Amino acid sequence: MEEKKTLLSIRDLKKVYTTREGELEALGSVSFDVGRQEFVSIVGPSGCGKTTLMRIIAGLMPQTSGELIVDKDYFDPQKDVGFVFQKALLLDWRRVIDNVLLPIEILKLDKKKYIPRAMELLELVGLKGFEKCYPNELSGGMQQRVSIARALIHDPKLILMDEPFGALDAITREKMNFELLRIWAESKKTVLFVTHEISEAVFLSDRIIVLSARPSKMVGNVEIELPRPRTLEQKLLPEFNRYALDIYNKLEVK
Amino acid sequence: MKAKTLKGSSKIGKILQNMGSILLFLVIWELAVHIFDIREAFLCTPSSAVYHLLVPQPDANYHWSVNILTTLKEYVISFAFVAAGGIALAILISWSKTIQGILMPAFIFICSLPMIAIAPILLIWIGYGLKTNVLVAFLVSFFPMVINTITGLGAQDKQLLDLVRYLGANRWQVLLKIQLPGALPYIFSGLKISSSLCIMGVIVGELIASDKGLGYVIVNAQLTMDTPPMFASLIMMSLLGWGMYLLVSLCERLLTPWNFVKERVDS
Ligand SMILES: Nc1ncnc2c1ncn2[C@@H]1O[C@H](COP(=O)(O)OP(=O)(O)OP(=O)(O)O)[C@@H](O)[C@H]1O
Ligand SMILES: [Mg+2]
Repeated sequence: MEEKKTLLSIRDLKKVYTTREGELEALGSVSFDVGRQEFVSIVGPSGCGKTTLMRIIAGLMPQTSGELIVDKDYFDPQKDVGFVFQKALLLDWRRVIDNVLLPIEILKLDKKKYIPRAMELLELVGLKGFEKCYPNELSGGMQQRVSIARALIHDPKLILMDEPFGALDAITREKMNFELLRIWAESKKTVLFVTHEISEAVFLSDRIIVLSARPSKMVGNVEIELPRPRTLEQKLLPEFNRYALDIYNKLEVK
Repeated sequence: MKAKTLKGSSKIGKILQNMGSILLFLVIWELAVHIFDIREAFLCTPSSAVYHLLVPQPDANYHWSVNILTTLKEYVISFAFVAAGGIALAILISWSKTIQGILMPAFIFICSLPMIAIAPILLIWIGYGLKTNVLVAFLVSFFPMVINTITGLGAQDKQLLDLVRYLGANRWQVLLKIQLPGALPYIFSGLKISSSLCIMGVIVGELIASDKGLGYVIVNAQLTMDTPPMFASLIMMSLLGWGMYLLVSLCERLLTPWNFVKERVDS
């Protein structure tokens, strides 16, 4: 079956930071696979190395040991990744629309061709009419939504999202969850999603990777077998809560 | 919903206020000279200085168009070198952390040297005239420009670099898309500092040795205690420095428009 093909395979990945105080083991051997078009969430306590893991996958830093295997025929780790960082990281000197188009410029694609797409994405994240604004004219949540549009502009096959909705209010967050699921379902993308919110992870994911505190080990790899498309009503189902409880238990929250 | 930026209407009011205070100062000065009956060889009135500028002068040493143009030319040449050279050198230096580590302390040392003291030495080496004056002005104002630009190029949030690096951006893209635009506010503050240092350098060169220029006018008029041309020259110098500052501010406004929108819009 096509969707069972692996896109990304992480084998015994380890990261040790050398700091002034000595060695700091951020990732202590993590292994898991991400299938094509799968929606995988990573949950774990703060400081357990989730951002570290995402940065290694994006090629922003080398791992200390272990392997990161990607299906090179299907997927170019440089062009086919979209990264939504924990901070919005907009360029102050660019208008919203030019911020969204930044990846197009870096990848040296035809910018003009992508302008309609950029407008579409801005509408999708609820920022229609703000394309000519500068980032310092937007609120924190609006900036974060611009950064989501920017990560999608070059139509990446894999989207890495590092707590993308952390800065949003509960209502916008819920809306963005639905939008994300819609984009994911329509465009057949693979999503790797870091969050602190367990119910958000259950709601969105096909599978949840649970990491322990540092040095992090994988303490859970939970398949979420709730039917798609997901609905708000599902949040009230006993299964939904059983999944959440299961993850809380794995995280040893008492 | 449409985003809108409000224009500051208090801007014109502020300019009028500044002009008013300058005018008031001139009026007090003018009156003081008359009331206390001060000799012209000691202090002239501002009106006589302005008058000196406006009427044609028989003495060839006081031909204002020649003197102003000489100083202006030296100023523009040296400032252009400072701006272009300063930015270029800063980029080169910021290219390599090692070079930066070696050169920065030296630069900061040079910066703290009173560069003006070098003018008499340059006079021996080069002789008097445009070249010396330009070089003095350059040396006086170059290093603050370089240091400001280097600071700006390195001032970016390191995560902004990640933002383009994960897409495989090369060094040029990082420089052109992230570092240089982000450094613009620093570059402009460097240019503002350098613009006033630079006119000072030009004038110092002219004061020490020259046969024309605004600095020369002062030295020459001092011999005969002819104060109106001296003050006329001072007025012109400050106008030149002020003009360059305004030009830099205008470029800043055009090239960094995002720094001039401050009203926030919430959804
Ligand atoms: N560049 C670095 N140098 C040294 N230590 C680092 C560096 N980056 C992260 N760390 C350390 O590695 C550990 C994991 O950091 P990381 O940012 O990956 O955590 P996280 O799981 O994303 O946390 P959060 O949920 O709070 O964002 C932390 O203890 C942090 O102090
Ligand atoms: Mg993090």
